[in-house]
Amino acid sequence: MSNKIDIINVVKSKLGDKVQIQLGQLGTAAINTNNGLHRDVLKALLEADEKTGITAISGVDLGVNLGVLYHVHTSNAFVTIRAEVPKDNPKIQTIVDLIPGAAFHEFEVSDLLGVIFVGNELKGHLVLSENWPEGIFPLRKDVKATEVKLNPAPVEEKAPDMGKLVKIIIGPQHPALLEPEKFAVTVDGEIVTKVEPRIGYVHRGIEKASESRTYIQDVYLVERICGICNACHAYGFVAAVEKILKTEVPERAKYLRVVTLELNRLHSHLLTLGHAGLEIGYETLFQYFWRDREPIMDLIELTSGNRVYASLMTIGGVRRDIKDTDIPKIKTTLEDLRKKLPFYRQVYENEPSIKARMRNVGTLSREDAIKLCVVGPVARGSGYDIDVRKDDPYEAYGQIPFNKIVYTEGDTWARMNVRMDEVEESINIIQYAIDHLPTGPFRIDVPRNVIAGESISRNEAPRGELFYYVKSNGTAFPERVKVRTPTFANIPSFLKTAIGENIADVPPNFVSLDPCFSCTDR
Amino acid sequence: MTNTVTWARVKSPWVLHFNSGACNGCDIEIVALLTPKYDVERFGVKLEPSPRHADVLLVTGCVTQQCAERLKRVYDQMPQPKFVVAIGACACSGGVFQGNYNVVGGVDKVIPVTAYIPGCPPRPEAILDGVVKLLNALNPPKPKKLSKQEKQALALKAEAEAKVVVAQPEVVAATQQVKPVIEEEKTIVK
Amino acid sequence: MIDIWLILRILIFPGFAFILLLTLFCDWIERKFEARIQNRVGPLVAGPAGLFQPLADFIKLLTKEDIEPRDAKKIVFRFAPLLAFTIMVFAICFLPIDGASVLSTGGFSGDLIVILTFSTIASFLMFLSGWASANPYGTISSARVLTQFLGYDIPLFLIALTPAFIVGSLSIFTIAAGVTLASGQTIPIILLAPWAFVLFIITMQAELEKDPFDVPESESELVGGVCTEFTGAKLAFLHLTRDVQIVFGSALVVELFLGGPYGPVFFGLPAFWYSLWFVLKLLAVVIITEYITTLFARLRIDQVLSANWKILLPAALLSLMATVALVTWVYPLV
Repeated sequence: MSNKIDIINVVKSKLGDKVQIQLGQLGTAAINTNNGLHRDVLKALLEADEKTGITAISGVDLGVNLGVLYHVHTSNAFVTIRAEVPKDNPKIQTIVDLIPGAAFHEFEVSDLLGVIFVGNELKGHLVLSENWPEGIFPLRKDVKATEVKLNPAPVEEKAPDMGKLVKIIIGPQHPALLEPEKFAVTVDGEIVTKVEPRIGYVHRGIEKASESRTYIQDVYLVERICGICNACHAYGFVAAVEKILKTEVPERAKYLRVVTLELNRLHSHLLTLGHAGLEIGYETLFQYFWRDREPIMDLIELTSGNRVYASLMTIGGVRRDIKDTDIPKIKTTLEDLRKKLPFYRQVYENEPSIKARMRNVGTLSREDAIKLCVVGPVARGSGYDIDVRKDDPYEAYGQIPFNKIVYTEGDTWARMNVRMDEVEESINIIQYAIDHLPTGPFRIDVPRNVIAGESISRNEAPRGELFYYVKSNGTAFPERVKVRTPTFANIPSFLKTAIGENIADVPPNFVSLDPCFSCTDR
Repeated sequence: MTNTVTWARVKSPWVLHFNSGACNGCDIEIVALLTPKYDVERFGVKLEPSPRHADVLLVTGCVTQQCAERLKRVYDQMPQPKFVVAIGACACSGGVFQGNYNVVGGVDKVIPVTAYIPGCPPRPEAILDGVVKLLNALNPPKPKKLSKQEKQALALKAEAEAKVVVAQPEVVAATQQVKPVIEEEKTIVK
Repeated sequence: MIDIWLILRILIFPGFAFILLLTLFCDWIERKFEARIQNRVGPLVAGPAGLFQPLADFIKLLTKEDIEPRDAKKIVFRFAPLLAFTIMVFAICFLPIDGASVLSTGGFSGDLIVILTFSTIASFLMFLSGWASANPYGTISSARVLTQFLGYDIPLFLIALTPAFIVGSLSIFTIAAGVTLASGQTIPIILLAPWAFVLFIITMQAELEKDPFDVPESESELVGGVCTEFTGAKLAFLHLTRDVQIVFGSALVVELFLGGPYGPVFFGLPAFWYSLWFVLKLLAVVIITEYITTLFARLRIDQVLSANWKILLPAALLSLMATVALVTWVYPLV
């Protein structure tokens, strides 16, 4: 498939009049289906392109019906399949047999909106707490957040005796994890046989909260989904709203946005590389990496005024400009960081204890990576070369030369090396962007009430592809904001790669995913 | 004897970090405290893995419904004397997430808090300042050495006040911790 | 008949008080050294340059509330930490510190085996305390402690026998005195069997559960390790036992290979100079082991075990055989 439209033509030829195709909407095209034809469209796409996978499944409350949008990515196109189910009988056929990676997405839609996926009925809650009352779905429009009455906390039942299998609970308070989430790891001796996750400890109901705040307030709200990749969240939301408004930001703003996003990537990768050292008991490496991360935090403070929350993105451009007097400092700091990288590369290449703990640990094959729809360095470490900055360029990335980093080994060591090389690429991108910064305004005015419409935006966060779907209804408040974060897509791969390995390999394996549960739970 | 004990407690506070539903911003600033630029080990602060070993509980995050129960349990597992520090705007009051359906909103709705450190996220220097202030508050206040004029002024003031008899309200000592009234059901069921 | 001199020796110097202060000082050295390697400063506020930090930690732990889980095995839970500490201190009392040990002036033949046994018993008591605490992390961690120290005890004994072979005696005093050459000079054992010294340091690293053999204490999987469930005074003694084990291990290296407390005496009391040399050599060994700790990541349990059975044990046997051969045929010629 060399042309994006080719795959749409394939669908058209197979299904003809049974579906409506709107080119240019919600990606390359939006395909509206009725009567459960979404499975046929998906089958047609899978047959045409083996790299088809699910990016997200959005559920929307449309009043009488519930809309279910399947956002599907192929090698070079992005298609949204729309389906609707009536609220009083919200049943729709599942797609997990076609794409196994869709399991978590379906679970979330059924948890928060009450859509029942026939063939994939799951018990319990994904993100909601155990004392959430049955039958109340928070994302439906008739549910008011302050009026929900919660059940008293349920009594934990004693686990059944499993013979020689031992169940170890990792979390919610655990020194290995910065965030609370629970993994019940069943071990036989020292070998892991099953991993059962329980997420939702950090679920703050941001998607519902965004519907009762204005667009500008929402920029600051979605930024706080995650402190580590905050610029990407803000950018995702802002880009989607700008697509609805059909505004084009000035060139200077595009380059400044690239600088902010890449600084964010730098500090996040250095954080993960250090944190991985802590997991394998290598405190010295952790301290060295975080020592070298501090100058980057100083740079973020220099450009935006705040160490963690840059808050530079706004609808219509960026909020602040870079002063010309600051540019030499940015360049020298980046050069100093670049000089330190060969030392770290040498450590990863030659240090025997790192190789003993990281090589052949958590190996994910390329086929599994494609089937489970993983994103980011996890995919690129297994030979699956996706990178939104290259596949679907946004802002100024189309004009800046840089390399896509791909390793084929698929183990923890490969994923860490991907991040290390991406640090160098980010340094190159920032320096190019600063050298070629166009003149002009860095912000334009946009109206307060956004016209009715819907759009998506994808960008490459440090952990992988971050996806936003925004629907507006003509007022100053959004109708629906849906976020699909990269860790949400990567967790199923961890559940698979941990099995059959030593329990001591679980922390390094887990950290190599670079999990961010505040992103996952929202 | 108590002086030595207080000295030991002030010089060796072991902390446990618990994230009760935070965005990670405050947590990475807490971990940054251990790194060379801020180096909190100078003050004897050690990050401990187990609640049983820790003296100070650093809580971040607007407490989510699922974490509320766990937070209470972790607090109960810590041995006395123990202190709680709420770090960040979310831990103090719920922050941007106040009113959301899954959010309790503030650590003091679940466990008693000794110190609040506001900010979104607070800088590592601010967290360090808060922890040091908490530790210094544990020391009993030293009586100030007064100069001769100050002593005379104080004596005159005491004389004047002794002549006026007014019903004084009960004064609560500054070091006495005020425990908020917590009813078990109400913290979780809104 | 109460010997006042003996009581003073047991309680103050070179007995209990000296060992306790030395332990706290070594803890401070370790923390400062590790901090410096990591580009940090380490404890600074408690006392001058943070010297009283370990003391503050100890006193603070003594005054914390003592929590006992309902399901813990009461007697073991309560007494194992204190007993482990006592046995370790008792083991140190056999080593010559100022020319004579705490308990005797000349030691007795076979006391090397006795103190190695004591150290094994202390490690076993650490295992028991983790097992008795009714905590899943404690249970798994104590199983790892057992596997690790039982496995590494074998090469430890073998390598500890090497100096015994060279000197021809199982008495620590004789081994510490070194070998007297034909020229009348005494040299420490390390110059005669440097390979045994290296292997002994590595085995000691594993026995003391320091990086890269840190498995039983690995925070990232096992929370607090063996002492997860302990609080207050029991935790203080568990920590102290671990620190005393480090002092004991380093002291053993000093006695077996580095010539014990013996060294040049310049003026005055020989006992003073012997203690000084002992402390200096001990600190050197502590710094070496701490340096190895900071340099490496933590190995997995199966890697630790295979390192023991596949690499260290054959190396220990080879070292012993090589030493016996050298002693019988080569060294008498020198």
